[in-house]
Amino acid sequence: MAELTYRDAVARGIAQEMERDNNVVFLGEDVAKAGGVFKSTVGLYEKFGPLRVRDTPISEQAILGAAMGAAMTGLRPIAEIMFADFAAVCFDYIANEFPKLRYMTNGQLGCPLVVRTGNGGGARFGAQHSQSIENWTMMIPGLKVVAPSSPLDVIGLMAAAVRDDNPVIFHEHKSLYAVKGEVPDGEILDTLGTARILRPGKDATILALALMVPRALAAAETLAAEHGIDCEVIDVRSLVPLDTNTILNSVARTGHLFTVEENPRLCGWGAEIASIVADEAFWDLDGPIVRITTPHIPLPAADHLEDLALPNAPRIVEKISRVMNGSVR
Amino acid sequence: MSADVLMPQLGETVAEGKILAWFKQEGDEVKEGDNLFEIETDKVTMEVQSTVAGRLGEIRVKSGEVAKVGSVVAVIGGAATPGARSEPARSEPAKPAPASAATVAPVSAQTASVNGSGHAAPAKPRSPFEEVSTPVESFGPAKGPSGIRVTPLARRLIAQNGLDTEAIARTVAASGATKIGEKDVRAALAAPRSQPQSQAAPPAPQAIRPAAPGSVVTLNTIRKRTGERLAENWRTIPHVFQAIEVDFTQVEAVRSKRKEKFKSDFGLSLTYLPFIARATCLALRDFPQVNAQLDGGTLVLASEINLGIAVDLSHNGLVVPVVRNADDLTLPGLARAIGRQVDKARTGKLTGDDFSGGTYSISNNGAFGTAFTAAIINAPQVAILSTDAIRLRASVVETPQGAFVAPRLTGMVGQSFDHRAFDGAYSAAFLSRLKAVLEERDWGAEFG
Amino acid sequence: MPGPNDFGMVWHLGWNHNMREKQKGSRAAGLPNDDIGPDIRLELYRLQVEIRDCEKRANDLFFQNLIKGTSHLSLGQEGIAAGVAVAMQPGDKSFCTYRGHAHTLARGVPMEKVLGELMLRDNGLMRGKGGSMHLTSVEHGVMGSYAIIGAHLPIACGSAWRAQYLGQTDVSVCFFGDGTTNIGAFHEALNFAAIWKLPVVFICENNLYMEYTPIADVTAVEHPAADRASAYGLERIVIDGNDADIVYRTAQAAFAKARNGDGPSLIECMTYRHSGHSRADPAKYRPEGELEKWLERDPIKIYRERLKEFGISDAQVAAIDAESKRKVDAATEACKASPPAPVELLTTDVYADGGWSWRN
Repeated sequence: MAELTYRDAVARGIAQEMERDNNVVFLGEDVAKAGGVFKSTVGLYEKFGPLRVRDTPISEQAILGAAMGAAMTGLRPIAEIMFADFAAVCFDYIANEFPKLRYMTNGQLGCPLVVRTGNGGGARFGAQHSQSIENWTMMIPGLKVVAPSSPLDVIGLMAAAVRDDNPVIFHEHKSLYAVKGEVPDGEILDTLGTARILRPGKDATILALALMVPRALAAAETLAAEHGIDCEVIDVRSLVPLDTNTILNSVARTGHLFTVEENPRLCGWGAEIASIVADEAFWDLDGPIVRITTPHIPLPAADHLEDLALPNAPRIVEKISRVMNGSVR
Repeated sequence: MSADVLMPQLGETVAEGKILAWFKQEGDEVKEGDNLFEIETDKVTMEVQSTVAGRLGEIRVKSGEVAKVGSVVAVIGGAATPGARSEPARSEPAKPAPASAATVAPVSAQTASVNGSGHAAPAKPRSPFEEVSTPVESFGPAKGPSGIRVTPLARRLIAQNGLDTEAIARTVAASGATKIGEKDVRAALAAPRSQPQSQAAPPAPQAIRPAAPGSVVTLNTIRKRTGERLAENWRTIPHVFQAIEVDFTQVEAVRSKRKEKFKSDFGLSLTYLPFIARATCLALRDFPQVNAQLDGGTLVLASEINLGIAVDLSHNGLVVPVVRNADDLTLPGLARAIGRQVDKARTGKLTGDDFSGGTYSISNNGAFGTAFTAAIINAPQVAILSTDAIRLRASVVETPQGAFVAPRLTGMVGQSFDHRAFDGAYSAAFLSRLKAVLEERDWGAEFG
Repeated sequence: MPGPNDFGMVWHLGWNHNMREKQKGSRAAGLPNDDIGPDIRLELYRLQVEIRDCEKRANDLFFQNLIKGTSHLSLGQEGIAAGVAVAMQPGDKSFCTYRGHAHTLARGVPMEKVLGELMLRDNGLMRGKGGSMHLTSVEHGVMGSYAIIGAHLPIACGSAWRAQYLGQTDVSVCFFGDGTTNIGAFHEALNFAAIWKLPVVFICENNLYMEYTPIADVTAVEHPAADRASAYGLERIVIDGNDADIVYRTAQAAFAKARNGDGPSLIECMTYRHSGHSRADPAKYRPEGELEKWLERDPIKIYRERLKEFGISDAQVAAIDAESKRKVDAATEACKASPPAPVELLTTDVYADGGWSWRN
């Protein structure tokens, strides 16, 4: 058991898989000799050498295209897109190439690769380096999409992503890189498509992802202590595949659903889940499904404005207590 | 493969139950967790869920019939594939994920885990054109009587339990709300099953013209039964009421210091009630005739102190669940035990056991600012305590330096007792002891 | 900047001169060059004829409404597909575009599989799930046809990277049109391939038109691919794409370089599209006389003369022609007899477990 930062967990997860499988290779901008702009891949170059850990030019299309070509002919590449916002530069691969290959070729070819990317806000980087794009990737059939919230999940889900035979978009959250957590020794392997109940509760279900998970947990404690509302907090972890069982079972117990999403409101990931729950769990609902999201705006750079925009614990508490008022006790 | 559905043991003192209604018909598909039928004893009504999935073959005990505990009331056959999604009972939070290291167990290097095989597959393949399955059943419209809206869950519970939306709507409207939610239905469910409305209506509707919708209150079954029993008790028991003024300043000193941590530790508000209940337990030990039952010509002293706590169901009925062996509990323990029973009462989770075995009762009306309450005894018990508003009053405080008028937190604690069981002096001594415990006990020590 | 009318002549002098220089020493003036040999020449001819016949049949099937959607024919460009394919070895990888029937057929994929896919029948390469723009036959080394301009250049780089990393000797070959040279992925891929010295060969088929617009109207340099090569430290290569021998020799040299670890090549092959961009395009934008001039330089016409020059008999040529027609007819009949794909295929192979499910 060791205490590890989310940042170091990234390097450990990659290293674990590179040690296990010689076909795992890693490429991206500044990832090798410099150890990554977020210092999340420090030591990999020294450990695995220049053939397996490769610096690339600033060519996002070449990075993802090369990863795909290697993946479909036998390697298991991990590609880094430095900031998630840059996915827009190479979205052809994310939207048109990776996820369509297997289907269009009737299963002749597959695309087992992982795209790691620094997702999310809170770092005062402004509108083009702070976006939460998990919903961009969630909407494309053929992709898998995960977003871990803890160092342990980073390693376990990274291992699962590398070993998966599908293209996996791996959203690391920039504002979680410094977060520490206990991680057991030895190999760690998790399962894609599994949500986790982090705090059981009986009055309402809160779904959260990545940076929103610690905020939802903090809000739940306040809601219990000050409002007598006992919330179940679920870390969704994986948007595709989606663990609807865990979510629907929770709503069946609580009758209330809240989502806490960092993405801007329109078509955020919680919208799809809200739709599923409104449908399948309709007769379990004792109140409206409520989404707490970043407003539908670009993110500002100014710290106080960015803090205002992203959902935080007080806003979650305020919203949930207002909605739940009259529903419990 | 088939499975017998048994009449459940509703409580250790209950031998048989009456089936009020079946929610499923013979031939229906039943999922694990589906409500199968509703049963009633003189203590409680409750829904019984299926523990297996399959087709409901034969119903052996029909609606309205009584069956012994443990007898077979129906058979579920066919042992269909397990439901895609089991529905655990409400209000029971899922077990938290075990320690993360255990769920993300380190595995050996040769483990080949591709494609997230961990999540449970649906029982049968999902159709790509029904990626999301819309429920086929419907439980009525969202718009209820008098413009009251009904949540989907409330509609389902009302339909599945055969409740009367209009009756609940009237209760809700009377309280000023505009929506029927789960809690309103649970409150109605906590009562035994409603009688047909015509029987429960006020006796002379033609004589009184309702002033407005909501002014005619249909008595629910809880109220009807409570009323019958109370009338009998009032008629047959010679009641005497005594009250004593208690200074709660010491209690408040401890309570205000502890309440925040208590709330964060247990999610419960630390009210005056557990202090009074704890003091009552201690006083009852010294005055065992108060904790007794009158049986013909003899007074049977109880070996345990099982406290009944009267719980108001949002003005929609009264139930008195019991905290067993209450004198074994510390103040925090008692507070939590009371909290659990109140919660169960308000969510309709009380079973027969929760109502049985009470030896003494407390009726707590303090929240509404009343000065004192002369409660009716809950026979076969021989006394009942009532507590009322605790507030700052000008009191005379005697000190070695003389008497002063000072603001003190005071409240009345009263007792109705059965004069056949003991006399006024015994009751007064009990109350005096209770007052002394409340005013002088080292309450801080109760928190360990 | 040359206009459409004289554009052909301008490049003609350019590449012809270039190639004469390149071929100097290997080809004595006035004498047939025998470095290729009769077997390969017959193979080059057979492939060109079969591609031609198959593409013509595809055209006919359009007009019978037996091919739906769209389709992009390589009529007139067969010399490149044949020349490169014959120079490839088994195991080499082809990355094609939406105009990829020719390159797919050239790797030995049966006509029935190609026409079946164009007709969206169950006997097609992908049983109708991909359609004409995405022909793929991994067993023949055809690693997909890509319909987003430029996307497959980086992908071919990745395949080449895999070979380099694993020490495998195969070469990845990427075909694309002149229009691709103005998209970012082209430039990213060339730089990437050059700095990593990847065993990849980029074949630009310059048929003078990016879809409907003359490439010269929208490109800053005369040769859209070759004139950019120097930016990535690559040799400037422009060849006559309508001469399968030249294509074959150039491709062979590029493959040898790649296999030798000396990095990528970019080859611009001058050619001409006899038909429009796609089924929907009658190609009215072409100047009068341009097509006729190019028909004189039709690659199959050129190659029949070449065979004659090297003493191959008319009877041999006629036998190949007849066999090709027979193959196309047989393939057509087989496709017409084939049912459409079963509806279950709608949701297969979205994910690696073979299915489509995104939830539990």
